[in-house]
Amino acid sequence: MSNEKAYYGQFGGQYVSESLMNTLAEVDAAFEEAIHDPEFLKQYHYYLKQYVGRETPLYYAERLSEKYGTRIYLKREDLNHTGAHKINNVIGQILLAKRMGKTKVIAETGAGQHGVATATGAALFNMDCTVYMGAEDIERQKLNVMRMEMLGATVVPVHSGSNTLKDATNEAIRTWAKTAEDTFYIIGSAVGPYPYPKMVKEFQSCISREAKRQFAEEVGGLPDVVMACVGGGSNSIGMFADFIEEKSVRLIGVEAAGLGIETGKHASAMALGKPGVLHGMKSYLLQDDDGNVELAHSISAGLDYPGVGPEHAYLKDSGRAEYVSITDVEAMDALMELCKLEGIIPAIESAHAMAYAFKLAEKMTPEQSIIVCLSGRGDKDVNTIADYLAGKGYLN
Amino acid sequence: MRTNRIEAKLEQLKEKNEKAFITYLTAGLPDMEKTKAIVKAQEAAGTDIVEIGVPFSDPIADGPVIQQASYESILGGTNIHKCFTAVEELRAEGCALPMIFMLYYNTVCHYGVENFVKKCREAGVDGLIIPDLPMEEQEEIKAFLEGQDETILIQLVSPVSKQRVPEILKDARGFVYCVSSMGVTGQSGSFHKEILNYLADVKAKSPIPVMMGFGITQASDIAPMKDSIDGAIVGSHFINLLRENNFAPEAAAEYCSTFKQEMSTL
Repeated sequence: MSNEKAYYGQFGGQYVSESLMNTLAEVDAAFEEAIHDPEFLKQYHYYLKQYVGRETPLYYAERLSEKYGTRIYLKREDLNHTGAHKINNVIGQILLAKRMGKTKVIAETGAGQHGVATATGAALFNMDCTVYMGAEDIERQKLNVMRMEMLGATVVPVHSGSNTLKDATNEAIRTWAKTAEDTFYIIGSAVGPYPYPKMVKEFQSCISREAKRQFAEEVGGLPDVVMACVGGGSNSIGMFADFIEEKSVRLIGVEAAGLGIETGKHASAMALGKPGVLHGMKSYLLQDDDGNVELAHSISAGLDYPGVGPEHAYLKDSGRAEYVSITDVEAMDALMELCKLEGIIPAIESAHAMAYAFKLAEKMTPEQSIIVCLSGRGDKDVNTIADYLAGKGYLN
Repeated sequence: MRTNRIEAKLEQLKEKNEKAFITYLTAGLPDMEKTKAIVKAQEAAGTDIVEIGVPFSDPIADGPVIQQASYESILGGTNIHKCFTAVEELRAEGCALPMIFMLYYNTVCHYGVENFVKKCREAGVDGLIIPDLPMEEQEEIKAFLEGQDETILIQLVSPVSKQRVPEILKDARGFVYCVSSMGVTGQSGSFHKEILNYLADVKAKSPIPVMMGFGITQASDIAPMKDSIDGAIVGSHFINLLRENNFAPEAAAEYCSTFKQEMSTL
């Protein structure tokens, strides 16, 4: 293949308009130079420590472990500044944008976590920030919209297609194609044209780098299983990164099954998607019989995405990682369990990974161990949780 | 005589020292019968080439007008199969106008790249414009396009392509499609600030005709660059005009003959 370095097996690539090809080449060159520059890395790690609050704990969840009969560890990305792993990547990309002399940043957001993280970074580094967000997601995530605006960002509602993350991403790409001369596009997930999947992985790999060392120090050896939820796949690729070469460690990505895979209302690109092209990449993609992109469904806005990052598609095909799915109901049950047994309100996204950890634990021994990436906190989801519980009569 | 309809047409125009007039319309808007009638009316009115947009759910290279057109067309049931059928019917009914499919790569992948190319040749699709397929990603489809003349891939260049232009033009067929601005279709009145230098540069390097598209509404729009281009492509404005006239083929015909006429006197 002529564009080999942009690919993970048959996935990835640069499926964008000609107008963006030179821009991608510039980003790629600047990125490669930056991550080999000790000064850049020093700066990046400085902000991760002093601003984001890393490292995050690898917490041994005692009561969950006792209940489920295996050792469950939580990588506490919910304790990062802004409440999720998204900020790790934003700090990296925004430092790169500054280094490239850009004065404006744009971002897409679904649940709003990446938008909030980008608005935060833009405030910190004095950059002009515009966030594209689907009109439906703006309704679902009002709190995060308010946070972004407080941080000085302009939130642009996107009214096209399904009014969600995929459409917000389309609009961000369109805007970028017009404004690339002074604008840097901060992609929040492990998706998009090369080098974005590689950049996002690089800037999220602090999750697994820390977790691997923490586990070795606190427990010894390697965990048996490492698990994370997968929408586009940023927290999961960060959680997998340093374990990919450790072949004894099972890597499990958990997609959203929504109302159930069989209902068609889900967001499991790996389970039912076929290879396709969206947002500048070739990867597994939910599509209808005519090759149009199908709407994803999940109670969690952050997993509500019809595609998946190209490296995940490759990890699936090569057999290195397994991908499973969890329904809305299973995720909400796990969320409540984590609240009640450990005093942690997780994001609904992260609760999908928790739910599968509980399922898998039944097949594991008390000596074995699972690390689950607790990618974000659930404050943003309180309204959704309340609506759900009211419908289910949970708190009666 | 070239066997590809686009290339044959462009050779005729060159001999006559005429500029090409090319339109874009979204297939199936408001329905496929209307699309066919509009294509035929344009052929009669002197349009040289038509681009038929195959609608896709996520048209990232298109502005609001074509996004909305695509959305409505999909809701109306348009798909790639119906687009092929429409071209086959037009050919059977005697339409000899060069026809190009403008579509996104996912539609091609979903159909199967090899089968897609085969079907284009059989149906009478003369060219392909795939805006999310830059030269780095063309190897897959080129493998199936090679060794035949019926269907060719049209190359796009942008105002920021610069050092990429010679590589893009290498082996390019038909014409080179110069987008007039950064970004998406349909931003009228906002040509790139370097538009004249950019077009002159491409013209100097290109062995094949150079067409300009994006943001053109009338023939006088291209007056400043008439020496650097061999024709104009009108898309979003054409769709707006069709809407305003309730998709009457006569309105399309009148617009096309006026544009072509005015272009000859620039």
